[in-house]
Amino acid sequence: MKLILKPLLKYYLKYITKLVLFIHRPRIIVVAGSTNKTFVRDEIKKVLLAKGCTVRANPKNFNTEIGLPLAILNIGSGYNSYRGWLPIIADAAAAIFAKNFPAVLVLELGVARRGDMRYLLSIVKPEICVITDITQRYIESFSGLDQMVKEYAYLVKNMSTSGQVILNYDNLKIRALAKRTKAKVIYFGQTVSSEAGFKIEKITRTEQGESVEVRHKNLHKELAIPRFGTHHAYAAAVGVIVQKNI
Amino acid sequence: MFERTKNLRLSVIKQMELRAAKFPSVISLAQGVPSFDTPECIKRRVELALKQGVVAKYSLSPGIAELRELIEIKLAEQNMFYDFEKEILVTAGSIEGITATLLAITESGDEVIIPEPTYTSYREVIILAGCTPVYVALSEEKGWAFELEKYEAAITPKTKAIFYCNPNNPTGTIYSKEQLLGLAALAEKHNLYLLSDEVYKDFIFEPGKTIFSLAELPALRRRVIRLFSFSKSYAMTGWRVGYLHADESIAREILKVHDSLVTCAPVISQYAAMGALEMGEKDVQFFNGEYKKRRDLICQRLDKLAHIFSYIRPESAYYVFPRIIKKDIAFGSYDCPRSFSWHFALYLLEKAQVAVVPGVAFGPSGEDHIRISFGRSEKDINEVFNRLDNLFL
Repeated sequence: MKLILKPLLKYYLKYITKLVLFIHRPRIIVVAGSTNKTFVRDEIKKVLLAKGCTVRANPKNFNTEIGLPLAILNIGSGYNSYRGWLPIIADAAAAIFAKNFPAVLVLELGVARRGDMRYLLSIVKPEICVITDITQRYIESFSGLDQMVKEYAYLVKNMSTSGQVILNYDNLKIRALAKRTKAKVIYFGQTVSSEAGFKIEKITRTEQGESVEVRHKNLHKELAIPRFGTHHAYAAAVGVIVQKNI
Repeated sequence: MFERTKNLRLSVIKQMELRAAKFPSVISLAQGVPSFDTPECIKRRVELALKQGVVAKYSLSPGIAELRELIEIKLAEQNMFYDFEKEILVTAGSIEGITATLLAITESGDEVIIPEPTYTSYREVIILAGCTPVYVALSEEKGWAFELEKYEAAITPKTKAIFYCNPNNPTGTIYSKEQLLGLAALAEKHNLYLLSDEVYKDFIFEPGKTIFSLAELPALRRRVIRLFSFSKSYAMTGWRVGYLHADESIAREILKVHDSLVTCAPVISQYAAMGALEMGEKDVQFFNGEYKKRRDLICQRLDKLAHIFSYIRPESAYYVFPRIIKKDIAFGSYDCPRSFSWHFALYLLEKAQVAVVPGVAFGPSGEDHIRISFGRSEKDINEVFNRLDNLFL
């Protein structure tokens, strides 16, 4: 039963979503990587909201073949209940006629298996993509790290020449992806020079969170992040890039 | 011989369960086990992990990074900000987290203050760590609240920590923000750690009521160790998975003990925990609603026995802790400690085949009380109270 219904649902949601995107034509920013996607996504959303944009981002972990369309259509999940999916199917169709579609979508892309990226990019065409980090996480379903990196390579390769690819310079695998794209590449990280990218400096823990400086050419930002952990400094750096470039 | 274990005792709850097992028609409202099975969405997450072949190997000692990141996200929703890479540890249930914490932060001979009545196993873990539990009574008259002056009086140069359960087991009390801040002020003054066991935090029965955690205050990061378990909120008692979080300076020390004790939490259960955080929210809401119904039912039934019990209506968890006001009961001769609540519990077991926990198990102030769990189904609760009605009315 599940073997039949799941693909049906998957393709139903995909084509409804494509129709909705065709009608509303939002700007799409995607965030991919093994870790830190959610914090980067939230930072981008926060920056865009502060700029006055209308924004929609994936709720929770809605970043897979089923979850991504649900996130874009702004509807819930039926999870494991056949009955639970019935209203969702109706909601998906109703989403075609929904008003007040946001101007920008900030979407995490979850990659756990070979081919996931190809499928997700058959639904969305991003204008900007961010790759946060690539680690051994989720590697179980791949033959090795290189095969997993190919998923991210597929993403950057398919970015249009007018697009932007924001890469974590500190990760050598990610840095190497710059060669695979025709889009504009923007780096961030602790090891990149402030001339070549957005350099993260002086990450210091305070009682209230992390304090960090981001430098890029003449730009210098001192940020107080009310969170703990260096990954938030990276998210903040992406926020600075988005603030400057969008 | 057995120096370390000679003062430990098998939990009274488990003792009652063992005694109850000898009665064929017994209904046990003793152990705090949810009547529900683990939600389907969690099982499906585990099935997927099994199929992917990712559960057979150890995880990193602090837990699977993906799970810890999910925990950080969940905590942030609750106004608690901790670094998943260095400050969050996935544990084999909360009791392993408690054990690792006490072994890390105390030295042999230290004292640990516990407000009582409270969860029975705290005493054993404190003793196992070579420390002395110091009971400070909660005030039943004030709705099982803290009386801060009693804590101040109990603190000695040997005191290392105050260890409380919020919401409290067995009273179902939610401590107010003011009370907790008072405790925090004492901890600051006397340089103490605060261990906050919040395994029942997802169950709140009164509309508008919220649970405040001292872990929300950045200024207390170097004092507070907060513990959570998936057991109660997600009906996962058998999976043995929970987590703790604390400032990096504390967490790295606890991690050493955790690594020595269990290497890592069971990996299959860590995947279950991921399923719980990703998809279990609706199930938690459902359980909360059901427990509220059962709380209302059990209170209604207790009201009919007002000449036997008086009680404070629980605000959370799934226990009620009534005081036994009828004292003139002709008990049989029972093989048990000299305690009224022990005798009363065994009397119920013998006469009604109903298992509950004697209140003294939760500390000296628990004497003259029993703990009744409403984790079991409404049918069981009704049957238990039908039997009690037959016995007492």
